[in-house]
Amino acid sequence: METKVKIENLSKHFSDPQRGLVKAVDNVSLEAFSGEIFGLLGPNGAGKTTTLRMMATLMRPDSGSISIAGYDTVSEPQKVRRSIGYLSSTTALYPRLSPREIISYFAQLNDYPSTELVTRVEKLISHFGIQDYADTYSEKLSTGMKQLTSIARTVVHDPPVLILDEPSTGLDVIVAQKIHHHIFELKNEGKTIIFSSHNMGEVEKLCDRIGIINKGKLLAAGTPDELREISKKHYMEDVFVFFVREYEKEIGYEKKEAACI
Amino acid sequence: MKTLVIIFLKDLLRNKMLGLMVLLVPLIFYPLIYWGITQFMLLRTAFSENTVITVKYHSETSEFGDLKDSLSAINNLIIEPGFFKQADTDNIYLTVRSQQGLPYFEVYVDSSNSSLLSMSAQIEKSLSKYYRSSVDRIVKENDYTPEYFQVYNIEMNDTEGDESVVVILKILSLLVPLFSIMSILGSCVAASVELASGHSEDKTSETTLTLPVERKVIMISKFISVSIYGILAGSLNFIFLTVFMMQIFRSFMGIIDQGIEGIGWSKIISFNTLFFSFVSLCLTAFFISLIFVTAAGFASKRKEGSVLVSPFMAAVTYIPLVIVIPALEPGILISAVPVLNVAFAMKLIISGDINTLFIIQTAIFSFLWTFTAYRYILPFLLDEEVLMGYSDTSLAKKIKGKLFKWKLK
Repeated sequence: METKVKIENLSKHFSDPQRGLVKAVDNVSLEAFSGEIFGLLGPNGAGKTTTLRMMATLMRPDSGSISIAGYDTVSEPQKVRRSIGYLSSTTALYPRLSPREIISYFAQLNDYPSTELVTRVEKLISHFGIQDYADTYSEKLSTGMKQLTSIARTVVHDPPVLILDEPSTGLDVIVAQKIHHHIFELKNEGKTIIFSSHNMGEVEKLCDRIGIINKGKLLAAGTPDELREISKKHYMEDVFVFFVREYEKEIGYEKKEAACI
Repeated sequence: MKTLVIIFLKDLLRNKMLGLMVLLVPLIFYPLIYWGITQFMLLRTAFSENTVITVKYHSETSEFGDLKDSLSAINNLIIEPGFFKQADTDNIYLTVRSQQGLPYFEVYVDSSNSSLLSMSAQIEKSLSKYYRSSVDRIVKENDYTPEYFQVYNIEMNDTEGDESVVVILKILSLLVPLFSIMSILGSCVAASVELASGHSEDKTSETTLTLPVERKVIMISKFISVSIYGILAGSLNFIFLTVFMMQIFRSFMGIIDQGIEGIGWSKIISFNTLFFSFVSLCLTAFFISLIFVTAAGFASKRKEGSVLVSPFMAAVTYIPLVIVIPALEPGILISAVPVLNVAFAMKLIISGDINTLFIIQTAIFSFLWTFTAYRYILPFLLDEEVLMGYSDTSLAKKIKGKLFKWKLK
């Protein structure tokens, strides 16, 4: 399998007047391959979104590097942008544009061939089941419909890498299942999908490999079975808690050591 | 860029709340303008009624000796001997001669002086009364048929021009640029907050920034979209305000300045006025969008964006416009201030005072400001990721870092 995403020693800090220097992402390294769904699992504030934003060229890393489809996010951002589809944690649709307009404009902005544009837009509208709402302003759509439109917009230019930030958060079971189904379809088309969530069941169901992230640190990475084997736990929730506890013990140990010195 | 501008403009133009805010300017200000002009006209009439006017009287005949007595019945009128040689802004000239036993009057009045104009209306009334009494006398003496004497023998001569046009131009040249630019300000502020802070809040800026489009293009598209929105609002306001003012003047002039008729559109709105006004509106909208998009870009929420643009709205544009435009004469200092210089140039053009030097200075400074914006401000904005509305821009970082250090101390 071809390596599509390669992150090496990635770090990002923020200065916070209350907390001082906050390590949002701390020395994270991971790889994802074509036709693979890689899930970043972690609680809120773990550093998932910051990692994804840096992958999507929205933020510059303080140190480390990210390579997507062979291109570096800092030195070749435009090439990276051509290779990715980014779905932010909110639906992020222009409220007074219809799904048809949004998908069509994003295809144009991604330089999709104009001769095939209409066919592509209609195909996606039909594929994601948004025909009945295709000409309604997106502000009037339900959250589920908005998210389906958002995914259609993300994949309109057929990018090899998809970065999906909590794509099913806040959706009902039926819509969430639809979205899972579409994510599987995209995986079967050979796309690399980096996926973030704090829903253990969802990650276990969708992902080929999982990275457990907490307080900016990547605590473990592997297939669900590998992680179960290391932690000797069956449920993903217990697996997650195991790695977090282990990390806290380690940190506690370091702090005690530092205090002794 | 075209696609981005279309997206941004569609989103702006379909925003009903934003449209309502833009409409609020005429809804609030037009009645105020109407009230202001009514007060102005009433004051003007009262002033005209109380001013003492001299009529220089010259008679080419010994007949009609009682005419002076008839005229002296008019309040605030002094009659002195004298005859018309050349245009005079202080006096009314009346020459009387005899035509087949009837008086023929020639009146010379400078219509740009509203007091003279008001008095001339009263003199005209008195003269026509005198003329009719003369007709009655001749008809009686000679047993003529009265129908033959319907000809009105008063010749009114305006020594200056159409006073209505002069007054309208003075007021239009002040109010139209002021309110058009205020309308641009209002609409550009709203559009900037929506396109910069609003897009950050809705996260639409995130999805735009992950597109294979240069950040400079996205930034310029935002400026262009806000400018177009401002130009649309400003142009609509310009047209409606001009029509509105014309209607007000039409109704008022008929009552106050009797005898002056026909306020021609062509005397007020020429191609040149419209063209230069449009260019001025475009330039104003561009500079205002530059200021406000930049300010709103540092905020990631609409509320914060509104707070950030308010001081710029007040300090950079609104106060100078309101205070300076009605008062000052054109000069190099005004021509150096963006927005203000263009508004001033528009004022001069509308009032028909083509001050070439000031317009050239304005054009040079506008070019310099545009160059500065492109060369220095744009790279700074791109570097600071202002478009994102993120708080971790290097400028924000520096400020926060200093605050943090200060707090630690």
